[in-house]
Amino acid sequence: MKRFAAALLAALMTVGLCGCSWQTESPDEAREVIQVIAMDTVMIFTTYGEKSTHADYLSEDEVRRLESLLSRTDGESVICQLNSAGGLGIDVGEEVCGLMEAAEEYTLATEGAFDITIAPVVAAWGFTEKENRVPSQKELDELLTLVGPEHITLAGDAAALTPGTQIDLGGIAKGYASDRIAEILKENSIPRATISLGGNVLAWGDRPDGTPWRVGIQDPQDPNNANAFAGMLHLTDAFAVTSGGYQRFFEADGKTYHHIIDPATGYPADSGLTSVTVVADCDLDEVDGTPSVGTMCDALSTALFVMGEEKALDFWRSGKYDFDLVLVTEDSRVVVTDGIADEFEESKESGYSYEVVS
Amino acid sequence: MKSSPKLRPCLWDGLVVLLVVVLAAACALAVWSRGTGAGDLTAVVTVDGTEAERILLKNFPDGERTYSGNGYTLHVCLADSQGAKGPGLYVADADCPTQDCVHTGTISRAGQSIVCLPARIIIRLEGGTVDKDAPDMVIG
Repeated sequence: MKRFAAALLAALMTVGLCGCSWQTESPDEAREVIQVIAMDTVMIFTTYGEKSTHADYLSEDEVRRLESLLSRTDGESVICQLNSAGGLGIDVGEEVCGLMEAAEEYTLATEGAFDITIAPVVAAWGFTEKENRVPSQKELDELLTLVGPEHITLAGDAAALTPGTQIDLGGIAKGYASDRIAEILKENSIPRATISLGGNVLAWGDRPDGTPWRVGIQDPQDPNNANAFAGMLHLTDAFAVTSGGYQRFFEADGKTYHHIIDPATGYPADSGLTSVTVVADCDLDEVDGTPSVGTMCDALSTALFVMGEEKALDFWRSGKYDFDLVLVTEDSRVVVTDGIADEFEESKESGYSYEVVS
Repeated sequence: MKSSPKLRPCLWDGLVVLLVVVLAAACALAVWSRGTGAGDLTAVVTVDGTEAERILLKNFPDGERTYSGNGYTLHVCLADSQGAKGPGLYVADADCPTQDCVHTGTISRAGQSIVCLPARIIIRLEGGTVDKDAPDMVIG
């Protein structure tokens, strides 16, 4: 009888232990994934921790709020109202004003390679319209007279544009969204997350196994292949943004025209680069929801694509901003700045040659 | 020292030990298999922000499914095992204007997605064997 009692006890203990094992799952292991189509791209929020579901849906709400606030096509948006104000000053609010100030800073820092007033030129190429077309030189020359930071006046929370000038904050909207989401993750004590906003990503914390997140840089030569990478970044607490001409383009008369317009010429940037990835640390102490590192990465990835390899590396060496670069060139080279070299993994099957610069 | 006959191990004692060992092994197996996050590869299909279907690849009926959204239709097909990669999914044809979903080709591991922005359809793979070298995110 004692033996049966012992066997029964052993069985109960085992079942009990099994139960314990389910209970001992760390709250950090709880994971929520949601996918959202917004800002003309697909976004994937993967967060861990007790508040992962809450943080994911707050992030979605925030992205939707920014989409309607910053849209260039929604007649109700502040940006639309400013663009159609015919030169009159309107109250755009503290947030939009702050973004416009940040945009102006990057315009001046990059000597106009990034410029939110390029919007009418981009529209002339049809990238924000239904049909693409090649505008005439005369049309471009006329539109370019309305491009430049001197056509924007900011005073308090009000803004005014030179009549005819239009702005599009699309070049920093996703970067700013990543800054806002970083604050949501911080406020909800999210231990780890991957936030993917099209070409903008935020690697928050590390992987559950303690290793850095692995972020593949799409191979510009094989843009639709889900398994083709120009390299792999190993990131912990970092923002990364890629700009590439292959992302949106059209063909006319046997020529390919992509969507990153050089504000100096009005034509798609022809700088010898096929993609630019800007990487910068996300310092948790400085995350406060204002336009910061995510916004910077977004603006600089566009600007440095326009500048080309030499000028982009000079800009990086100037030390004005703290970031690193992965440049992919038309002649099949991948150039990595030395600050990120240890966190970069070459893609052996890609056929690229790799170089680290300092 | 001579042991008492009552303390001498017998067949029943052996059975008790065996039972404990078997239960312990079963317990360990349950915990380990859960820890790897294993499970069969599952396609999660979202149409206009709402999860429309969650379907195991091994149960993919007749190797083809049709999904519609925003006035466009996608024909999604099951790709047979591609060497070591295992089965996957691809959009065989679609009537959307961009055709990005068709050009994406075959997705075959957890985390990969096929996206059709005009149709507002996302097909994402979850579960399956965890490949530690696979990217967690792709930029570009």
